[in-house]
Amino acid sequence: MNIREVAWRLFSAELNGAVYEIKGEAEKSPSYAVTPLGAMVNRVLMAGVLTEKENVGTEDDPLWRGRVQDTLSGSFYINIGRFQPEAAEAIAGIDTPAYVAVVGKVRTYTTDDGRTFVSVRPETISVIDEPARDLWLLEAAESSWSRLKTMRKAISAGTADKKDLVSLGIREKDAEGVLIALDQYGTPNSMTYLKPIQNAIRTILPDHSIDLGLPEDIPDDYPDEIEIEPGSTARDNADMEDIVLRLLEELDTDGKGALREELESKAMVEGITSMELEEITNTLMDKGLVYEPNIRHLKRI
Amino acid sequence: MNKEDRITPLFEDLKKVLEGKVEDAQLRNTIKTYIEDYGVDENRAKAAIIKKFDPSTTSGFVTADTVSKKIGDLTGTEMNIDLTVKIVYVESREVSIRGKATPILSGIIGDDTGTCSFTIWDRDDITLIKGGTYSFRNAYTKLFRNQAQVNIGTRGKIEEVDADIDVRSTQMPSSEPTVAKIGDLTEGMGSVTVTGRILSIEARNVIANNEPKTVYSGIISDESGKVQYSAWNDFSLNEGDTIRVKNAYVRSWRGIPQLNMGDRTEVEKVDDNLIELDDTVNRRTVAEVINVGGAIDVEIDGMAIDLREGSGLIGRCPTCNRAVRDGECSLHGRVEPVADLRMKLIIDDGTGAISAIVDRGNTEGITGISLSEAERMSGDAGDPSVVSRRIAEIVLMRKVSVNGNVLSDEYGPTMIVKGISFKPVDVKAGAERLYEEMEATL
Ligand SMILES: [Zn+2]
Repeated sequence: MNIREVAWRLFSAELNGAVYEIKGEAEKSPSYAVTPLGAMVNRVLMAGVLTEKENVGTEDDPLWRGRVQDTLSGSFYINIGRFQPEAAEAIAGIDTPAYVAVVGKVRTYTTDDGRTFVSVRPETISVIDEPARDLWLLEAAESSWSRLKTMRKAISAGTADKKDLVSLGIREKDAEGVLIALDQYGTPNSMTYLKPIQNAIRTILPDHSIDLGLPEDIPDDYPDEIEIEPGSTARDNADMEDIVLRLLEELDTDGKGALREELESKAMVEGITSMELEEITNTLMDKGLVYEPNIRHLKRI
Repeated sequence: MNKEDRITPLFEDLKKVLEGKVEDAQLRNTIKTYIEDYGVDENRAKAAIIKKFDPSTTSGFVTADTVSKKIGDLTGTEMNIDLTVKIVYVESREVSIRGKATPILSGIIGDDTGTCSFTIWDRDDITLIKGGTYSFRNAYTKLFRNQAQVNIGTRGKIEEVDADIDVRSTQMPSSEPTVAKIGDLTEGMGSVTVTGRILSIEARNVIANNEPKTVYSGIISDESGKVQYSAWNDFSLNEGDTIRVKNAYVRSWRGIPQLNMGDRTEVEKVDDNLIELDDTVNRRTVAEVINVGGAIDVEIDGMAIDLREGSGLIGRCPTCNRAVRDGECSLHGRVEPVADLRMKLIIDDGTGAISAIVDRGNTEGITGISLSEAERMSGDAGDPSVVSRRIAEIVLMRKVSVNGNVLSDEYGPTMIVKGISFKPVDVKAGAERLYEEMEATL
């Protein structure tokens, strides 16, 4: 069964630290970026102010980059390519600045000199109003706080055994994430994650004096600029499935489906080998998204 | 174009290919079954029907060869397999598929490598006896809740085998007795004790294993949720009774757990005070529902984060009610579509995500856009997608409360929505609460 990945609500401070990725090994199994607080994130729901946008591709083959400021102290980056046509169309029509909500997949990208950056590849991006942004701030704050509490519980238990954590009332999946996070990043600096929560509460309650007693001079924890190449190597099965589905649509000019040879050469151009293509089309057939009207054609359902 | 016209060309084609291998009337009926009852694509139907009546043909269509498999080796993706199995448990019932009452046989089969559940679709020509050994041929499998399920469709065959096999019990019925809350019941529980109140009861006469029998069914609830039950004995159940059910077992239908009271089940009346039902009975998170596979009559609050394709102003075929694309019904060709409004939403509450299918009345209610207004918008713009875009603006990224039944199939969990409304959230109060908690903890 195909259970849709949950959309995590988290702040950029946590997202941008999620540089460790668990690659889906089996077919259909998704990849996860693990955050320093132990969230195993495939999809996110994030909101904030779209402050910058730029199409670094062409009009026909757009590659949009944008920067969204989610709290006073943080931003995250979005990248939209030709295989997210709805999101590409949407961002083209948004004037900066604007409150936006983004639902998308997390992508990690490692530069030649070994630095890893995290960005979001939106499935949808939409303009929202201020109350909707505030609601998101609250959900992200509650969700972050709950992860901080879980992390704290795990650290004070001082165990690296998942079963022990589960017996403390931590859900199995959370326990798994927490242990990976501790292993990869060590004990998190809670100030980094408390600060955006405090900022969020301050934004929602401007008339209250909100002070969690944090030092006010914590440096902002995000990179200034990131470069994402169009042909970036960080690509998983889900990406390739998307590409093949789009190609099937593009190549189906007469309603009979796409010719296999044409699909194969087009896929090659997208960097998908014929062996990979075979695997992907089998998966798509299993998922009921594609069928073979005859031996020469493949068609999207 | 009427529906006969869709069948006839196929019939003529197939008659030529299958010359003399099948009676005309039977062929015509088979085509109808594929095309009309199951909505099978014409080419797929052709291939399947040729294979059905002329198994020797390769016919140029791509079809997988049959392989013999053991239950323990099933992956849930097999298209065409043979199995020799013993019937561990079987029951017959009727389900509604696209509005048509369809008989199904379902239960558990086993061999020396394990057990799994099976379903035989729309085959009143098949009778299975518990404990009997059969060969299931041309079966296919699906993966459901990480377990393979064996299915026999129209082209499957079942033959009795004169042999006995030792069944290695892997999952059901599980012998370990468990006490459970109704909201935690899930497929695979084989000996479960629950305490709950009978909310409804209904008696039905059915034919099970060739004998007339009365089945009592209805809804039973505790504080954690509601579940459908069926009882194969008269336990003198009455509406409003609070009962403790021992040694019942759970079977799922499309992901929705059902409590079954069989021969080994004991039922006793208990003190009504043990169960106190209030408004919160139906409240669940998405994760809670997904964990058990499905549920009846639940209420979920979450963010509407996506409006899927096929939402907004759609056209339906006047004959079969399927959604049409570009004025073409997949069965009936070009039709004069009947306009309808609907939403296919993704609801995500931060614990998980489910699809929610919202009908016209509820769509009109929450969006404030009536069907006739939607038609006018579409007409003015010359493009029906203005309607779904407008709906997206109204509902997306807003918190909604939905209620209905949640079922699961290979596409994941889906709620058939009975009611939907915007859920007002007092963000300021929420932030105050969070701040207080953090201050107290830090
Ligand atoms: Zn039709």
